[in-house]
Amino acid sequence: MKTPPFKLFQPKTIEEAISISSNFIENNEQFDWIAGGTDLLPNYKWHLNTKPNVISLALIEDLFHLDSTHIGAMVRLHDLANFADAHPIIKKAAASIASVLIRQSGTVGGNIALDTRCFWYNQAEEWRRSIEWCHKCDCDTSADCRVIANQNELCVATYQADLAPSLMVLNAQIHLCGPDGSRDMPLSEFFELDGIKRNVLKKGEIITHLTISDDANSWEGDYQKLSLRESWDFPEAGVAAAWRYSSQSPSEGLELRIATTALESIPRLHNNITNEALINKSTIDEIAAKLRLDVKPVNNTTFPPNYRKKMVEVLCKKALDGMKGELT
Amino acid sequence: MSGMSNTPHVPMIPTGEKTSWNAMINSRNFDNINIDSNAILLDVLRDSAGMLGVKRGCDLGTCGCCAVLIDGVPKLSCLTLAAETKGKEITTVEGLADGAHLHPIQKTFSECGGSQCGFCTPGFLVVISALLHENNNPNDKEIKDAIEGNLCRCTGYQQIIESVHAAADILNSNEGVEDNTIAKVDPHPGIDRVQE
Repeated sequence: MKTPPFKLFQPKTIEEAISISSNFIENNEQFDWIAGGTDLLPNYKWHLNTKPNVISLALIEDLFHLDSTHIGAMVRLHDLANFADAHPIIKKAAASIASVLIRQSGTVGGNIALDTRCFWYNQAEEWRRSIEWCHKCDCDTSADCRVIANQNELCVATYQADLAPSLMVLNAQIHLCGPDGSRDMPLSEFFELDGIKRNVLKKGEIITHLTISDDANSWEGDYQKLSLRESWDFPEAGVAAAWRYSSQSPSEGLELRIATTALESIPRLHNNITNEALINKSTIDEIAAKLRLDVKPVNNTTFPPNYRKKMVEVLCKKALDGMKGELT
Repeated sequence: MSGMSNTPHVPMIPTGEKTSWNAMINSRNFDNINIDSNAILLDVLRDSAGMLGVKRGCDLGTCGCCAVLIDGVPKLSCLTLAAETKGKEITTVEGLADGAHLHPIQKTFSECGGSQCGFCTPGFLVVISALLHENNNPNDKEIKDAIEGNLCRCTGYQQIIESVHAAADILNSNEGVEDNTIAKVDPHPGIDRVQE
């Protein structure tokens, strides 16, 4: 498959990259960012939302910094998975992404900003033509959504990246930089519930890095995922959980966070469930059952929604297995 | 027909802007290669550098047939922009052998049945050579982790794992691999040869 033609730009600093993107915005030209290329290039080969200009972040050294509280957007997933000072939940999630060959190229920023996926969208042009196009990609054709019939307002493509829920349960902050300056926010506020819009990134804005608070090491946790094959595949469901408690009064001082991925258009923290569970001293089985009811997968990935919901309950129990004794 | 001659030629797949590219491929310097700015490394290696050992499989990062070493790190050439590898050292399957001496994994692949139809073999050899460079005595789990990005539809992987163990034995014995151009048997037994 040939990639469609585009002009590649390779800035060496963040300022240079933002100035290139600002120019495109001023001239009303379309462009994309490319980090590792393991998400964008397959999409381009399938002629999905291609742009005539692509700005590469591969030469910007500032984006490669990695330490225990700072993860640069261009840090390779393989390096994060093997970084001794990374939090165990993050390492486990990073190591579970795709295959080692993809992780050698794929980046943290690219995984966070992964394009949403759908059975009707991630297909070749001829295939999409045969179903009279897809709402997410071929918008100017007035195509209807194939998942939720008779509408083309809402895209329900699924967010299938592994890192976000693990970073969310550790309360990570995401840092952005664009033509209007820099800003940061909790990662849980970064995503927007629309398979086309996906997140709050404005035109010309990039993810520079993520920060994790110093007290992250006091949190224990786990990440569990469901996928068709162990290697390469995107998650069909993913549950990250983190908890901590004071040694003096385990039951009183318990804090718990649970986040899910690959079940909706965004990864989501389930604070409503965990807060209620702590107040009512719910069991792990009760939390898992409530989580199953709280997620709303649609029929656009390999496994059917009902199976993914059932498996969320199983994954939640497995992820919370390490805190047995605190909640029974 | 006369109208058609005035029609400007429009290629079916338009190309991007041209740019100059250079790299050290299999210890050979490739200078001033003219590539499209959106060129994929796999296309440049096969079409411009003539490294046909790099295979195009799925072209989407699933199968690992196109794996090459970029500065010693195994990566998928089908998902790498050529422009981002400018000036780097690239090793393809053609660069694994040392003259007439095969890399140990090449020798053991042929002896242990690690290769059947052979299409996925270049990707496996490149990835395993990088593994053996880092770890000359990998266990089964380390081998499986290293080759998780490579698909083989023939062997069932067991022969590949056996090949890696056998290659590790050769590396640890320091005996090396014999020159495979030396005939091991007389191709015409019974015929007196003219002594030189």
